[in-house]
Amino acid sequence: MSRCHCQTTRRGFVTGCSAAIAALAGSRFNSLAFAQGGNPNDEILVVLFLRGGQDGLNLVIPTGGFDRGRYQALRPNLAIPAAVAAARPLGSLPGPDGAVALGLHPAAAPLFDLYQDGRLAVAVACGMSANERSHFDSMTWMELGTPGVGNTSSGWLTRHLASASNLPPQMLMPSVSIGGLQALSQLGSYETVAMGSPYDFSLSTGPWSARTAQRVALRNLYEGDTTWLHQAGVQALDAVDIVELYASGGYVPLPGAVYPDTWFGDNLKTIAQFIKLDLGLRIATLDLGGWDHHESEVVNGSPTQGIFADLVDELSRGLAAFWADLDDPAVNFPNQRLTLVVMSEFGRRAYENDATGTDHGHGNNLLVLSGHAIGGLHGTWPGLREELLNEGDLEVTTDFRRVLSEIVVRRLANPRLDLVFPGYTGYQPLGVVTGVDLGVGEPIFSDGFETGDTRNWIVGP
Amino acid sequence: MFFAPSPRPPRLYSRPTGVPARAPAPLPGSEYPLASAMRRKRPRLGPGPPDLPPVRPPLGVLVYTRAGFGHRGSELAAFDALGGTDAERLAAWVTQQLQPAAIADTECDAKLAAGAYATLGKSYTQLWQDHFVADNDWDERIQPATETELATWTRAVYSKRQLLESLVHFWHNHFNVYAYEFVEGPMWVHWDRDVIRAHALGNFRLLLEAVCKAPAMLVYLDNFVNFAEDQAGYSNENFARELLELHVLGAAASYGRIPRSQVPLDPQGRPLGYCEEDVQDVARALTGWTFDIDWESWRWGGGNSGQFVWVDSLHSTEAKRILGVDLPAGRTAQVDGRHLLDVIAAHPATGRFLATKLCRRLVGDFPPPELIDSAAALWTSLWQSPTQISQVIRHILVERPEFALTWGEKIKRPFEIAVSALRAMGTGVRFYQQVPAPPDWNDWHPDFQRTASLHWMFESAGQVVFGWHPPNGHPDLRGAWQCSTPRVALWRLVNWMIETDDDGNGRFAGIVPWTLATLPAGERSANAVVDLWLWRIFHHGVPAADRAQLVEFLSQGFNPDLDLPLATNDWPYYWQDRVNSLVGLIFMSPEFLWR
Repeated sequence: MSRCHCQTTRRGFVTGCSAAIAALAGSRFNSLAFAQGGNPNDEILVVLFLRGGQDGLNLVIPTGGFDRGRYQALRPNLAIPAAVAAARPLGSLPGPDGAVALGLHPAAAPLFDLYQDGRLAVAVACGMSANERSHFDSMTWMELGTPGVGNTSSGWLTRHLASASNLPPQMLMPSVSIGGLQALSQLGSYETVAMGSPYDFSLSTGPWSARTAQRVALRNLYEGDTTWLHQAGVQALDAVDIVELYASGGYVPLPGAVYPDTWFGDNLKTIAQFIKLDLGLRIATLDLGGWDHHESEVVNGSPTQGIFADLVDELSRGLAAFWADLDDPAVNFPNQRLTLVVMSEFGRRAYENDATGTDHGHGNNLLVLSGHAIGGLHGTWPGLREELLNEGDLEVTTDFRRVLSEIVVRRLANPRLDLVFPGYTGYQPLGVVTGVDLGVGEPIFSDGFETGDTRNWIVGP
Repeated sequence: MFFAPSPRPPRLYSRPTGVPARAPAPLPGSEYPLASAMRRKRPRLGPGPPDLPPVRPPLGVLVYTRAGFGHRGSELAAFDALGGTDAERLAAWVTQQLQPAAIADTECDAKLAAGAYATLGKSYTQLWQDHFVADNDWDERIQPATETELATWTRAVYSKRQLLESLVHFWHNHFNVYAYEFVEGPMWVHWDRDVIRAHALGNFRLLLEAVCKAPAMLVYLDNFVNFAEDQAGYSNENFARELLELHVLGAAASYGRIPRSQVPLDPQGRPLGYCEEDVQDVARALTGWTFDIDWESWRWGGGNSGQFVWVDSLHSTEAKRILGVDLPAGRTAQVDGRHLLDVIAAHPATGRFLATKLCRRLVGDFPPPELIDSAAALWTSLWQSPTQISQVIRHILVERPEFALTWGEKIKRPFEIAVSALRAMGTGVRFYQQVPAPPDWNDWHPDFQRTASLHWMFESAGQVVFGWHPPNGHPDLRGAWQCSTPRVALWRLVNWMIETDDDGNGRFAGIVPWTLATLPAGERSANAVVDLWLWRIFHHGVPAADRAQLVEFLSQGFNPDLDLPLATNDWPYYWQDRVNSLVGLIFMSPEFLWR
């Protein structure tokens, strides 16, 4: 069966090059007055991107009220039975046709435990209004943080790292991208290390008698010149050095943390390992792909089985293991400093299609797992009545940047939203995490930032 | 011997002026070298140091690196012999390469035969019956895909038809399909041989139709279940969307969800691009383009022959309008679909999109607009010519000046690094697998062990051949490949390639034996060995500081003009290991990455 697996996906939108940089009159950021933060911020943000468009409506499921009937009518074969979903109740939200009770897919039982502990915030109907139902455009706009604009030359996480004033001057490995090529949300970030597995991330081939000398010579070759290629090589060498020195001894998770035995589980484990190694990690990205189910989301007539259920199970067990692994007294409970966001480029169509699958949709859930989460349901339920759908899809009632910006401000203590999400104004936290709403500054420069024209706005060489 | 008969290759020093020979002194407070290296690198938010372009190599090297997979053996000498001037040589080389059938390829043919790839010669029906219908184990199901993958490595390394292989690589990426799947795998030989390779230098409109009819693409992007809504109650626009966005007009020509009437027109009154309504109508025009697989054929009373079929009973009979052209109601699937393909193939935005991608592949990441304009205009004007692609390639490589003058605007992607290293070191291995694999690794044929290990190490770089999942294909911009994942993966890989076993046999090539055979006894100084290998790999100068670094590495502190005892590999200096590592180091160096 075909589906867009979207394990690693990048479209080249790097428009920064030396000529363009030379055109910038001086460095804009150097003359900005950053808010002087107090203590250095040691919060960690992990962004998990579900590639393919996760079917949010079958993860967070209407179990009662008028919309339950609509859900069943829209999805005669795919609807999760009300009793099954209501066994893991998330609560209810007001809706245009009365309150809607929402429950969780049975395969997400590990997530439900976290929800009951108040660690999980579920924001419904998030997304961006600029949605062409194209994987590549949507992922690109979300990861660059500029909906509708695809040629921004930096990712939103890059811009956060560049504008945050409360980070220590020296961190060994502040930002990683695990599982493949560097994530688009970290586009342009020279301090981000991309790797698959740490065990392969080493210079451990070649005749052993020459390895040490070769390592030294390689570094000299890359440090001897100053092109971007040399700089990228030095950065890779630095990363290899760190991983080989500190992270190559094998990693044993805490006994209660049982990761799924998959690529996704391994990548989560790697991030946990790096957090515990105290390398100063602040930002991590990883993917879980395979959510693009245009057909056969159910098996044997049961919507609680099949590829969607398997993925939800993998996702949930992975996150639960990750949380439990970081609940580690030996390293001072890093899960208390953690915020993990689960996002997808769009949801799926409210209507099922003829192949018992779903097509590309619109609004979707944003999950926030955090040591400072305000657990529960958040956001505005848009309703499933025909007239309330956006061309057959769940409407978007919360811009995804609203949730991400709340995390950036309240957890990462970076008020420079004008830089992290150019063109996004009107900061209005939804209340998914606790924290202080630092004065979100007015843009100091007037060229390009308010209009959201980011093409001349380049970060890094 | 591969280079001109002179007793030893010349000393090679050349570097651009004004570049410091060494890195600046460590910053104060960084007594420990590692600490200085670990300083957090804030991105430079403003003008950085100027990009110093690497020195352009001789034309033969440039041509083989960018229009092929790197030079090998006597190819550079043959290139130089093609004419008296660079312009003559380039024109002659391109002319030759655009007639690949006329290039004798005996060594590559021998390597393909040695690989014993049982599926490459199978017919469409044989592939379908033997590998799909037969429903054997997974390894046998996808054997056509895995054998094509091995053949791809083989051809990239050994074929003299380098431009053809480059273009085949390009088209596989452009019409990306993930090969190791249920239907795609069994039919992969057909996809590679009869769709991509058959049309790689021919006509794009014919290539398009072959693509639209191939089971690999029909399943990968779901068009095989794209039926008229009013007949089957189900349509699937996945392929139609990607056809317009990724294959033909390109995302730059997309106007999104605006009404058709608002799409701006060119001076001839033709829409400049496509909108959402066009995507819907393209999907309708392609309804009923499917193939005879019993998953779906029950809808029209078909069987399970695997043959492509136009099913008119499931074709949309509505009127359609695409890019300003009306497709009247009530026509057959064949007529509607072919008309659609004519319209999109002839549209100027297609020429622009394909010209941009070809120039990006062959010249630089950001090709100059005048080059793109020129190639695009030619592409569109030749849309019905059987030699369209060849002529546009010739235009880009020979008739325009940019190709021969550009260097260092691109870097090699992982596949190019691996293949050009194998070519430069003079490998002779075959790419081999056993299906089914013996249960015990120790029973695997050594060639299979080597091939499998190559694959496992190469996988980490993120560019598995035919292994990119989403339909946009491997990116072709340096920004995607400069991050640490592929860099570290390829450092590990090339350094593994140069290893020898306990008997001193090279895993992929006899580096030391060749060195000993080329440099006479008594003349094997560190300087001489470094220069020999720099010549063999680069055929031109590298920056003096880099060369000095390599000499220092090889000489292990000894006087670099002294003859080294390379005939043995004893403690404590292990001179043969050191020579092998030198070659690995050169393949790891930044100089080897430029394209």
